[in-house]
Amino acid sequence: MSTPAFGWVIALPLIAAPGLYLASRLSRRPAVARWLCLLTLAGDGWLYFMVTRTPGAAGAQAFFGGSAVMQWDGLAQLLAALALTLGTLVALFSTADIAGAPDEEKYYALLLVLVGVLIGVGCARDLFNLWIWFEALAVSTYLLVAFHREPPTSLEATVKYLVQSAAGTSLVLLGIALVLMQTGTLDLAAIPLAAKAAGSPALLAAGGLFVVGLGVKAALVPLHSWLPDAHAQAPSGISAMLSGVVIAAGLVALLRAVAPLAALSDLRADVGWLFLGLGAVNMLYGNLLALRQVSLKRLLAYSSLSHIGYVLLGIGVALSSGQPAGAAAGMLHLLNHGLMKGLAFLSAGALVYALQTSTTQHASLKTIDLAGAAQRYPLVALALSVALLSLAGLPPLAGFTSKWQIFAAGFATGHGTTELLVAFAAFNSVLSLAYYAPVLNILYRQQPSEAVRAGRLVPAVMKLPLLALSLLIVVVGLRPDLLQGLAAAAGSALMAAIGS
Amino acid sequence: MSAFWIGLTIGLPWLGALALWLLGDRRPAVQHGLAVAAAVAGALAAVGLALFAANPVPVSLMPAALWGELTFQPDGLGVLLALIAAVVGSLTVVFSTAYMRGEHSLARYYALILIFIGAMVGLVLSASLLLLFIFWEITALCSYALIAFHNDDPRAVAAGVKALIMTQTGGVGLLAGVLIIHSQTGSYAINDFLVQAPHFPPGALTIVAFAFLVAAMAKSAQVPFHSWLPDAMEAPTPVSALIHAATLVNAGVYLLARFYPAFAEVPGWKAAVVGVGVLSALLAGVMALVAGDLKRVLAYSTISQLGYMVYAVGTGAIFASQFHLLSHAVFKALLFLAAGAVIQATGTRRLSELGGLGRAMPIVRNFFIVGALALAGLPVLNGFWSKDLVLESGFEQGPTWAVVTMLAVSSLTALYTVRVVWLVFFGRDHSARATAEAPVLMRVVLGVLAGLTATTWLAAGLLSQRLSDTLTGQPLATMSTWEMAVGLLAEPTTYLALGASALGLALWAWRGRLTPWVEKRSRFVQRAAEADFGFDWLSRQPASLARRSATWLARTQTGQLNWNMAGLVGALALILTLLVWRAR
Repeated sequence: MSTPAFGWVIALPLIAAPGLYLASRLSRRPAVARWLCLLTLAGDGWLYFMVTRTPGAAGAQAFFGGSAVMQWDGLAQLLAALALTLGTLVALFSTADIAGAPDEEKYYALLLVLVGVLIGVGCARDLFNLWIWFEALAVSTYLLVAFHREPPTSLEATVKYLVQSAAGTSLVLLGIALVLMQTGTLDLAAIPLAAKAAGSPALLAAGGLFVVGLGVKAALVPLHSWLPDAHAQAPSGISAMLSGVVIAAGLVALLRAVAPLAALSDLRADVGWLFLGLGAVNMLYGNLLALRQVSLKRLLAYSSLSHIGYVLLGIGVALSSGQPAGAAAGMLHLLNHGLMKGLAFLSAGALVYALQTSTTQHASLKTIDLAGAAQRYPLVALALSVALLSLAGLPPLAGFTSKWQIFAAGFATGHGTTELLVAFAAFNSVLSLAYYAPVLNILYRQQPSEAVRAGRLVPAVMKLPLLALSLLIVVVGLRPDLLQGLAAAAGSALMAAIGS
Repeated sequence: MSAFWIGLTIGLPWLGALALWLLGDRRPAVQHGLAVAAAVAGALAAVGLALFAANPVPVSLMPAALWGELTFQPDGLGVLLALIAAVVGSLTVVFSTAYMRGEHSLARYYALILIFIGAMVGLVLSASLLLLFIFWEITALCSYALIAFHNDDPRAVAAGVKALIMTQTGGVGLLAGVLIIHSQTGSYAINDFLVQAPHFPPGALTIVAFAFLVAAMAKSAQVPFHSWLPDAMEAPTPVSALIHAATLVNAGVYLLARFYPAFAEVPGWKAAVVGVGVLSALLAGVMALVAGDLKRVLAYSTISQLGYMVYAVGTGAIFASQFHLLSHAVFKALLFLAAGAVIQATGTRRLSELGGLGRAMPIVRNFFIVGALALAGLPVLNGFWSKDLVLESGFEQGPTWAVVTMLAVSSLTALYTVRVVWLVFFGRDHSARATAEAPVLMRVVLGVLAGLTATTWLAAGLLSQRLSDTLTGQPLATMSTWEMAVGLLAEPTTYLALGASALGLALWAWRGRLTPWVEKRSRFVQRAAEADFGFDWLSRQPASLARRSATWLARTQTGQLNWNMAGLVGALALILTLLVWRAR
């Protein structure tokens, strides 16, 4: 049996990871790990590119004699594209950021595993398989969050993350059991056809278990409480991956698991309203808590909550109304959020690197320490400004385009409640300016802070990913149609899965 | 043809901004020169646009697939405002070369001003609602960044963020309106909306009309959304002149005028517009009278004058509102820049620390007085004609109470104007504060603006011709400048307005006798006015509510694992309850 091309996109980083670790360990040269990691990701990017260009490469495929079915649909492609883009840039950034840390080679090996697993989560087409990938995702991120052994708070953050994730996945397992009991299948494409189980309370309960269990990773309030600690304590590159892609993977898994159940029980609109409600809560909660943060990375972590809210709003609009535009818009925002939050965390990371003499003080970089940073680090300050303004949804940046599309989709439904929710979301964007804007003012002060005055230089290899992401955000802001194909395919894959 | 000129008018300042940003802060002389070159080139392109390419046919500049038609429409209304933005913009940049000499971060300063000029031109020329919204947001962003230009000053930062948040809150109205229009017509084209508006469901059109009104009120600093504008005076003074007097704040009036044909029939809309205009003109006039800061007096006066324009739109006098907008842009830029010369020379904005400066700075004083006379509505400067046209139209088409109030505001305007002139250039002698007359470059710019203040009213005929030729659906009649002048001179309102202005001047002359009476009888008015009639407090409430609820919510983030798990269990219970409820 020949492995289909997209299987290699998943397999390559997973296969390369142990090889990279061994090669670097045996040669005692961390540089080997850096180069192999970059090379693998570049190769995987090339594979991805070739696969998307090959007609017929999409679609489902059975592995291991049919026991694992994988699919390469719109959602999978979107997640893969995001994971590969951010993964490559994070690897590049880390070559300077992680340089010299103990066990550096483990970091790169785990990063490769993370990228491979992220792509795998997107491709899984049966519930058990999805669960396996999801657990693998959790395991690879636990180790990365706790990569810096000092200070102890990073271990504490990891333990919280671990316990909450584990509780979540046990709920998922329970849900999977219920589904299997009721429908006799775990194939996501076959569940909607198991007509005799439609509407059974056990299936509804399974759906609820999926929302809660997978919602832990997708950072739904009130399941989010691990997130600010983990995102702030992780190495900056990993913060970018966690906030930019791992949350997205959690959401994709949630959608994958819930969609067939909703399709089976004809609950599409109800799920839509649930998402609208969850989205509204996430937006407001994330914004209000971000308003109080003095630590830059925690501020960014809370802002992720509100951005998941926008994505849920878009998807909720589509599901509640049956019009696919909202789903595409939500997916575009998921993609844009990955780029924006990736840039925000990487530029925050560059500042952490420059202003903190030791790498152990990750979470503690206060926004006030950034005073005058634009004087010494003009490019980093500009990149952070672009990221924050884009997150706030100001034109002509990427964040504006997807928010606009979500809002437009909401108003296109002509449904009063939906329109009110969209207006609420727009007010939330204004609210978010109240914490983004002061950071910009601090960056562009004339009087540098002690930290800035004592700061060290940011190496060019760190600036490169910042530059690339800033450019991407501006280009997407001006030409959102460049990403529209990816987002629309993901949106229609979701709508198809939920049966409309 | 028009695409070429529009591209130049927007593109040249933006190219200049890019070049300045790339150049960085290494060579101030080059920075000043480059900024002036870009701004003047943009102004020349705007003149070219006005001369050769003004026509109402939309043209497409950027064929971006997803954004739909990105079109511009150089009709009379848009070209007028574009011309104001580009010309006043270039004069401000020239003035800045003297005002900002020796300042830090010039690249940021000039780049933001040039981006603003381009965006303002784009805003008024845009034929697409989406594009209009994008430019609307970019102007707000530039305004915020320039108000907070001195980022080390916490007051400047607070003022910038306040301006941003208040105008963006209004911007939600624009967003909602645009999206409702799009959901009804399937198009972002302004002309499509104007054509189809009569066929809208009445509820939808009402929401759009009032949503746009809220957006306009926030942008044009109308009561109760005005309190950001006086605070915005923390900006460098040329920025106040350009953005917070001559251009950005006009965007709201522009929006109302542009969409007047669609909204005129919405029940209550015109009355609401008139009410907003009158209330803003009156309250801001009173506040200007008691303000103790030179720039804040001018800011309140801007709110009051914008009130005149909004009022004019509400009475259907579109031409009068745009004519007054032109006059005000010119004379208020003159007043602000002259104030800037004073502030630079003395280092203070407080009226109590100014006075008697006329001796040290006679030329600045004379130019300031020209602007002040125009503001007070005295003949034959541009403010006289345009304000009288507003009052005359209001008398004919608007409610009587409104025109009477606006006449009273005319007295008030004359009173606060003569007060500020007196306190700065005459009265108590603080002339030691100013060592010398303003630099030549500043005086040249002031001279140009004073010349324009004396003459722009002569363009009334041309302007009315252009507007009525190119705008469809607007209640416009063509008249020559001569007809306007003769017509106005035959109107009783003109003499009433003159009398009102004279009364204002007389009140100042009798102030010695009046002050004790005022202090006894209307102390509370003064106190209320000094406290911004409570609107400033009101505008702070949402922010304080957000902060308090954030503090309260932050308790949910305890960092304790047990509590985190309780959240998980709670969420599960909630979802299952919802499911049970749904299954019943």
